Order: sequence, then structure tokens, then C-alpha cells
Amino acid sequence: MKDAFVSVSNLSKTYASKGETLNILSGTSFEISEGELICLLGTSGSGKTTTLNILAGIDRPTSGEICYNGQNINEWTLDYLYDYRLREIGFIFQEFHLLEHLTSLENVMVPLLLNDWEEEDSRERAFNLLKQVGLANKTMNLPNELSSGEKQRVCVARAIANNPSLLIADEPTGTLDSKTGDDIMKLLQGISKKNKMTMVYTTHDPYLTKIASRIFVIQKGRIVESNAKNLEEVGYDNIIFEKNNKGEIL
Amino acid sequence: MKEVKRFNPPKKELALHQKLLNILSFNLHLIFKNIKNRKRSTVIIILGLTFSLSVLYTASIWSQTSQKIIADDYIESLDYEMYVESWQDDIEIYNDMYNFTAEDPLVEQVDWIFPAIALFNYEGKEDNYTWFPEDNQEDMDNPLSLSNGFVITNRAMDRISLNLEIEGSSSLRSGEILISYTQAKQLEEIFNEEITPGYKLNLAISRRIPNTDRSETQFQYFEIEDTTFENYTVAGIYKFVGHNTIIDRLIGGGATESAGTIFDSIFFPADVLTSYDFYRMINWGGIFPRLLVKTNAQQLREQGISNMPDNLLALRDRIQVSYYHAYCYVLDHALSEMTNEYARAFGSTNLFVPTIATAIFLTYFSTQITIKKRREEISFLRSKGAASSQIIGIFFGEFFIISFISLILGIGVGILLSALIPSFGQNQFFNRSLFVRYFQEIEISPYDIEMLTILILGSYLGLTLLNVIIYVRKDIHESILVTQKGQRILEQSVKILAFVLTVAGFLFFLLLEYKKLAENSYNYGLSLISASYRALYLFIAVVFFSCYFLSLGVNFILRNMKVIYNRIFRKSGFFIHKNMLRIRKSFTELSFFIVLIVCLLTTIIIIRSTSMYNNNFEDEYRQGADLRVQTTIPVNITEFENQIQSIEGVQNAFGFYSVKASVRLFDIEVFGIDSYKFLQIGRWMDSSLVDMSAETALSQLAENPRGVIMSEFLADRFRKNIGDNITVQDIRGGTIEDLIVSAVIKSAPGLGIAHGYDPKMNRQVTEWVLVNKEIISAGLGINNGTLFLAAMEENADFEYISEEIEKINPFTIINPEKINPDYIGFFIREHIPPANNILLVGAIFVNIIGIVYIFISTDFILEQRRKENAVLLALGGKQSKVRKNIVNEILSFITTTFAIGIPAGFLASIVTLTFIKPLLITREVVPMTLHVNTLILIIMIISLFAASLIGIIPIIRKQMKYEIVHELRAVV
Repeated sequence: MKDAFVSVSNLSKTYASKGETLNILSGTSFEISEGELICLLGTSGSGKTTTLNILAGIDRPTSGEICYNGQNINEWTLDYLYDYRLREIGFIFQEFHLLEHLTSLENVMVPLLLNDWEEEDSRERAFNLLKQVGLANKTMNLPNELSSGEKQRVCVARAIANNPSLLIADEPTGTLDSKTGDDIMKLLQGISKKNKMTMVYTTHDPYLTKIASRIFVIQKGRIVESNAKNLEEVGYDNIIFEKNNKGEIL
Repeated sequence: MKEVKRFNPPKKELALHQKLLNILSFNLHLIFKNIKNRKRSTVIIILGLTFSLSVLYTASIWSQTSQKIIADDYIESLDYEMYVESWQDDIEIYNDMYNFTAEDPLVEQVDWIFPAIALFNYEGKEDNYTWFPEDNQEDMDNPLSLSNGFVITNRAMDRISLNLEIEGSSSLRSGEILISYTQAKQLEEIFNEEITPGYKLNLAISRRIPNTDRSETQFQYFEIEDTTFENYTVAGIYKFVGHNTIIDRLIGGGATESAGTIFDSIFFPADVLTSYDFYRMINWGGIFPRLLVKTNAQQLREQGISNMPDNLLALRDRIQVSYYHAYCYVLDHALSEMTNEYARAFGSTNLFVPTIATAIFLTYFSTQITIKKRREEISFLRSKGAASSQIIGIFFGEFFIISFISLILGIGVGILLSALIPSFGQNQFFNRSLFVRYFQEIEISPYDIEMLTILILGSYLGLTLLNVIIYVRKDIHESILVTQKGQRILEQSVKILAFVLTVAGFLFFLLLEYKKLAENSYNYGLSLISASYRALYLFIAVVFFSCYFLSLGVNFILRNMKVIYNRIFRKSGFFIHKNMLRIRKSFTELSFFIVLIVCLLTTIIIIRSTSMYNNNFEDEYRQGADLRVQTTIPVNITEFENQIQSIEGVQNAFGFYSVKASVRLFDIEVFGIDSYKFLQIGRWMDSSLVDMSAETALSQLAENPRGVIMSEFLADRFRKNIGDNITVQDIRGGTIEDLIVSAVIKSAPGLGIAHGYDPKMNRQVTEWVLVNKEIISAGLGINNGTLFLAAMEENADFEYISEEIEKINPFTIINPEKINPDYIGFFIREHIPPANNILLVGAIFVNIIGIVYIFISTDFILEQRRKENAVLLALGGKQSKVRKNIVNEILSFITTTFAIGIPAGFLASIVTLTFIKPLLITREVVPMTLHVNTLILIIMIISLFAASLIGIIPIIRKQMKYEIVHELRAVV
């Protein structure tokens, strides 16, 4: 794919822990085109989050290449990387990571203010974004006054505040019930489509893979499947989950 | 249905002691592991506790030891503490008194002394030769020379010579005498020969005091025929370098006396006299002895230094009860002065109390932070099934061990410091001999140590335990949050009530006890000194409370400065304001502590600079003028004035004419002055006179030849107003009537206070009056004096002038650093550092404590915000920007707390100065006014400010030095 929006090749990440080396990613390669909606499927510890973190520029690979719009982000200076995170990436965390002392509105304002917006302008945009995610009536609530679904909506609004090109969501429904999770995924799908954003998300929920244009399967730090359009193509039962002799999912 | 298997652990029956042992060993294991894993916080807590404890232990050990050493040294420096005489001229009675006194348990030794007069160059004088006054006798070309003559034993000589600087020998053998330097110079003039040790001369010993009332001014009244001693050798020539001594009191004298008799005496050996000689001296010459009494230092200070004067007075009473005719002169005044000065010197160490209090707070807050940091651990232990008592037990065990280590260290440091501090008193860092001596003679009061340990460690452990219980309970019952608002209101109410009560107690104490004592006191004695530091304790509590409430004000201000943040920090203003809005308990504590530190620092520095300024001002006022010239031998005043004035650079000079007299029952010193010169030369103050300026008072005196300026005390006592008549008695045996009160005075430059005792001036009488010099010179024929004041021209060379004055008269002291070198305060200061040094050390410590707390607190607050910062970075915030925001936030915080703390410190120092004077000065000679050493204050404040800001940068760097992903993953 010559005109890949994001191109990852031979990505590896190792951690040293108590004298041992842990290989989190080992030689992962894939490409994503602009506007795609990629679902990263894998078991716990398979390297999903690390892949996302590296894509988002909040973690560095041990080796390998990540090209964003044809530029290798590994070669960028820290300042350039900050700008990349601020302007190009929108990140949605599984645990929300909202600032507890700020209201919903103020949480959404944060990336705008970091991007040197005037306070009043950022307030207006944040309000519109919250309206967009259905929280117009919760702008002055603190995070501890919101439900999990509402918190995640605030996260979505915060992630798209700077109108990023690449939206990254790390198990955005991981802490939500299925109904709320479904709502959030629909919201994300709508937003990415409306704003022509490329999106990469991880999930455990097979149902949530439905919205993806492609499904990547990651196992033991390596992408084993990157062209599946649906679960059937993935070979869901055999690939995603390891099973014991009795056929029980481990 | 599947059977549910319940987990039933096998029960192993253990004996109770084994159970306890297991619990203990498990807990101990955990406790030591925790201590080991938290080295930094453990070290800080140990340091804080050790500091607090060691300072208090030092104060106790040092006061016990220094009390003993000062008392021993001081008593050893005194020749004797008492002399005894009787108005019954019977040598048998003296023998009896000698035996009685020598057997008293308080007495170490009793010696004989026969005070007489010694006459030189008496040969060839007729019986009717008129020689009195000595400087105006019949034949001034071949004058008779008179001095005090003490017939004395060698044992007494050994004691007296402690205060003599001797050229030659003080041990007198047969045919030898010891003469004063002044007498030697007088004799050199008469004999026109140099007098050195070995010189031979004739002398006569006679009755001591001529009774000029009976006109005994002629030679014939002295009956010297049988008490002449010829061809005696001068064994040594001495200068009196004395302190408060009995020999000085016995014969009068002292450094500032015009006719200093101890400076003008000879000592004659009693050991070599035969019984016949004594018989002649006593029965024919009418010379009766005195008993010199030396007490046993250990016995005298047995019940503490403050009881020494009473012990001595009790000895006097015992003698006087047994011998009604006995008169005992006791150096109780000197001992009282020493007791007072000791109390003042030691009382001034209370100025260190604020520093100790801040150290205790530092320790307490550090512990709180440690407990807060371990909330997760509490949750973990609880999730593993630990009972509250077990968790509390582990925490308590940890802090108990930490306290125990601090206790051991505190005692060790206390002992070391108490031996080191006397070196600071001598402006040295380490004086080996003094250190060794303190170490050898160390006195530790187990009672003090026990009480201080209970006070510090007891309250520390109690509060810590309370904190742990609160946190453990919070962890169990989150519902407690519901009642938090109610609790907060209750807490605030209790704090406000405690504050109001403390302020009320302080004001009540200040207005009733302290003010009453201060109003009735001319000198700041023991009771006022102790009242002063009791007021100080109360006031420190008031300051602490005030700072707490001020910190609430600081937080209010910080929360409401949005416009300022936006204006100064522009787009970062939003983040700073939002962070300020969430000021919580740890922030409140930090602002309280910084306000407190800044307030105390400002107070300490202002008090120090006021005290130093006041001391210098007082010393200058005591000195009186640009030049203060004291002669050890009286000189002709007019002649000497002219000689001084003729020196290049001297503008004007004048001398004081002085004579002893009395007004009714009060002994006074009458100073004759040239009013205009005194006005011009003296460094007068606005408050020198009562309701009158110095110009008016001295002009009126000059215009009224019979005018007298008297003290406020005398005017009140005799109900004299300006214009009233007053009679001065016993003035050279006569009386001066019809003096007219022309002004009422409090003090004068060069002379000090007009009523009351100023130990730094060393005057024998506590009252003086000023009259025109003609009353003394023309009226009484006194033309000699010892004290001169002079004004120098601008840019005059002081060194040159001093040299010139010394050329005119070698027996001069110019601008003495110590007008009264015998001032006991100087002696005590060799063991106890002055208040100024204590304040300086206190200020430095407060500074350090402040900086340490700011570091600990910032570290804690930033650690709590690591996740937030990681989120900001993950969202694209630049590290430099996040860091800058933190610095700006701290800058706003510190600036605001400083802006509140500094004025609070000013206010506190004004209040403190109203009751702290007895700890700083002996008596308010010049009004103590607030004086701010702006430079030192700025340096201290800036150093605290800068150190806080510079010091937190590494902390910020440390707290920002993490993997974002790690932080985001760590906190769920």
C-alpha cells in the first residue's frame, strides 16, 4: 500500500524487569489507510495497548519504524512529538483519565488550551463538542458526578477537541455495560465518519468488531491477521482465544 | 448442582505466648521492612524529632551545667563575699566573731584585714601641718602623700591579688609592702625618682578615716609616732583590675570613682607583725580589724543559682543574731545581679522556642504526609483481612521505633550541644578546653529529661496514633464522608474557640501580671524576666493560631485571583486557577506552615535588629559623646579640658565635677557641669528629660546658678516641682541649702539613668543630680575629676586624638568598649550566647525548617498529581509547559503566603517587643523602638524564597521523570 496513512514495520518493544527481558511486541508490521476504522483484537498481554501507545506517540518502540503520513515519528524531537499528540492524535482511554478537579466542560477544554486556544473560544467549542456527544446538560458536572458512559463520552469529546486525524481508543468500552458500550462505539463510528478521521481501537467484545473496516489480530506481540473484514475471516474461536485440552477458553 | 467446597484451613492449636510471639515477630518484621523501605521519610522524621528533643535536652543539660560552672567560676573570681565589723572596739569580740563565722558550714575561710591609712613623706612635718584636702595641702612643693593602707595576712593577700595586676611579687615578707600604681606615680612626683619593685621607703600606718566634721585636717590628729615603719621595700606595684569585690566595697573605689581609693592603696604584711605591733596598732592607733569571709561555692549554690543571694543573707542573719553589734556587708547585690543576669541570659534562650515549635510541626506534618502516602497500603492490608488494631499496631510500632531512635540521638546530641554552646558564647565555633570542662562537669536532670520526653514524644505519638486511627477508620467507613461537613464545622469551631481563649489568656496575662510587674520595676529582675518568657510562650501559641487563620485567608485569596493569573500567566492562568480552586488539606497545611515560617522569620529578624540597634544606641548614650575620656587618677578639670580641646580634631570638651552627698535618706552623686558645653557635646535624646527638651533644661540651669536638675524618682518622692527648693546634705561634711529645682530628668548622655541601677555604668549610688559646676568647684574647692566628654570635628582622626590624649595623660581610658568592665553580664556571656546570636541561629533554623517542609510538601503534592500530569502529557501538553505551570503555581502560592506572612511578622514583632524587653536588656535606658534591618530581612526572605523555588526544581524534574504509559497504567 503505497499511500498508507500509517505504516508500521518490524515494530518491537521490550521491557527489562528484574533482570529478565519481556518482549511485548516483536516484529509487528501493518499499514492503515486514511479514513479506515481498524479494530485491534487480541488477548490480554498480547501487545494491543503498547501498539496503540506507540502509535499515539506516548511510548517509544525499541526498534522498528512508524510512518505517519510518510514521516518516521521515531525520528522526531520531543517537541514535534508533543505537537503530533496534540494536533494529530485523539486518545480515548479505557479508564477515562479525566482530571477530577475539572468539570466535563473544562476537561474538554484542556487539549484546546494546550493548543493555545483562548479560554472563551475553547469554552464555546467544548460546549459544542459535549452537545455533540449528548452531554449538553452535564457540562458543569465533575467526573465523580458522571456515570461511566457519560465519562467516556466526555473522553470522546476531549479526544476530538483538536479535530485529530487519527483517533485511538484503547478498549473504550472495557468498563462499560454492553448497551452503553454499543452506544459509545456508535458514537465513535459516527464521529470518525463525520470528521473523516482514521480510527484504531482495541476491544474484547466480538460484537464491537462489526463497525471495523478491517480487523487486526495480535498474538504474542505480533500481528497475525491484518486483512480480515469480519470475525469469520479471522477464525475467531481458534485465533483470538487460547483454549485448553477440553476446549475451554483460557 | 455442584457442591460448593468451603475453604477450611487446618487449625493448629498454639499456646498463647506462641501466638503473641508470632504476631510480634510478624509485626516486627513488617515494621522494620517498612522503616527500611521508607528511608527518606524515616530520616526526615527522625531528624525533626531529634532536633526538637535535642534542643530541649540541650537547654536542660546546658542550664544545669552552666549554672553550676558559672556559679563556681563567679564565686571563685570574687575575693570574698562578705566582710564583718563591729561597732564595739574590742579585739576579743572580733576573735569570738572570727571563730563563730569560721565554723559556719557555708564558710570556707575567714581572714583578717586592718583598714588604715598609709602616710608617705611625713618626715619633718609639724603637728599643725594642714594637709586635707590632699590636693590642696599646706606645702604642695613637698606634700604629704596619703593612701589607704591595709594590714593584711598573706592568705588574704592571695585572694585579693586575684583582682590585681602585679609587677613584682604579691607575697609579702617582713619589711615589704605592695603599693598601687597610682601611689607609685604620686611618690615618683614627690621624690622625683622612679619607683620600681625593690625601691625602699618609709611609711606610717594610721587610723583610717579623718573626721573632717571635727576638722581633723591637721597632721597632729593622726598619732603616727608608734606606727612608723622605716626602710620598707616595695615588693610589687599593682593595678586594680577588679570585679565586684569585697575589698573594693570595704574601702570604696571602682573604675569610675573620682577618688578611687582601691586605685590608691598599699598592702602591708600582717604576718610579720608582732603581738606588740598589733597592740600598738589596735590600742594606740585605734585601728580595728574587719573579717573577710569567703564562702564555699558548692554550699552556696546548693539549691540553685537563684538561691545564692538568700543563702548569703542567711549567713549574715546568723552572724547578726549572735552578735547584735556586728555589721555585715554582703556582696548579695553582686550575686543578685549575677542571678538576674543569668536568668536574663538564660531566659533569652527562650527566644529559640518558636524554632522548636516549628520543628515539632515539621515532624508532625511529615508524619501525616507519610501516613497519607500509605493509604493504599492501609487498603491493601485491609483487603488481606488485617484488623484495624493490627494496622494501627504496625504503624504505631514503626513510629515508636522511630521515636526511640530519635530519643537516643536526641540525648546524645543534647549532651554534645550543651558542651558546644559555651564556645558560641565566646564567639568561637569550638573551644576545646571549655568543651572538655562542660563534658566533665555535665549535670543531667533525669526529671527534666523525663518531662521533655513525655511532652514531645508523648504528644507526637499520640497525634500520630490519632491520625492513623482516622485514616484506618476512613478506609473502613467511607460513609464518614457524609459527616465530614459537620466535622469540619466542629473542627473550625473548636479551633476558633481555642484561638479566642489563647488570645484572651495572653492579653489577660499581659495586662494583669506582666504590666503590673513592669510598672513597679525600675530594673528588669527575675520575676519580670520569667513573666516575660511566660508571655512569650502564650504569644507563640497566639501566633500559631493566627497563622492558621491567616492561611485560610491565603487560600481564599489564591482561589479568587483568576484575573491576576490570567493577566500574569496568560493561557496557563486557567490551569493555575483551577489547581488553586481545589486547595485541600495538604495545601492548607503548606500555606499555614509558610505563613508561620515567614511570620516567625520576620519577627525574629525584627526583634534581633531592634535589640542590636537599641544596644548600640544605649551604649552610645552611655558613652555620652564622640569622645569619653576616663582617667584612673583624678586630674585638674579645667587644665585637662583645655589640653583636650587643643588637640587637632577636637571641637569642644568638658569634665564632670563630682561629689557624694545625700538628699534626706538617699545617697546621691552631685555632678557639676558646664550646661552649654554638656548640651553641645552630649548625645541628648528627646526623652532624656521629663516634659522638657535638653535645650530648655540646660539653658535654665545655666541661667540659674542655684539650679538643680533632679531625677523623676526624687521629684516624685519629695513632691518637688520645678521652682521648689531642695537641700543637699553630707556634701563634704556640709550642707547646701536653697537649690532650686530647674528640671526633672530621666537620664543623661554619659551618665546613664538618673535613678536606678544600671549595671553597665557601675556607679556606687543609684541617684544623681546635676548642678552648675561652680557650686562644686568654687563652693567646695574640688577641682579634680575623672570623667570628660568631648565632641570631635567632622572627619577627625580618632586614632590620632586618642594618641594625643594618652600623651597628655597616660592613665586614660578613651571610649571604653565596656564602661563597667565588671558588669556581670560580660562574665555570663562567656558561657551563654547573647540573645542576638540565639535569634540569628533561630532565624537560620526556621529558614531551614521552612525550606525542608516546602520540599517535602511539594514532593508530596506533585506525587499526587503524577497521573494528572501524565494525562496532560498524553493529551499533547509539552513537558516544559506542564513544568512551567507547576513553577508558576508554586510561585503564586509562595508570593501570596509571603505577602501575608511578612506584615503578620511585623505586627507580631511590635506586640512581642512590648513584653520581651526584660529578656533583651537590663533596663530601658533609651526607649526601645522598632528597628528593621531591611537588608538582613530581605536577605533572609529572599534566601527562603529563592531556596524554595530553586530547591523544588529538582523535585519537579524528579516527579516529571517517568514514562507516561507507566503512570497511566499505574493508577486505575
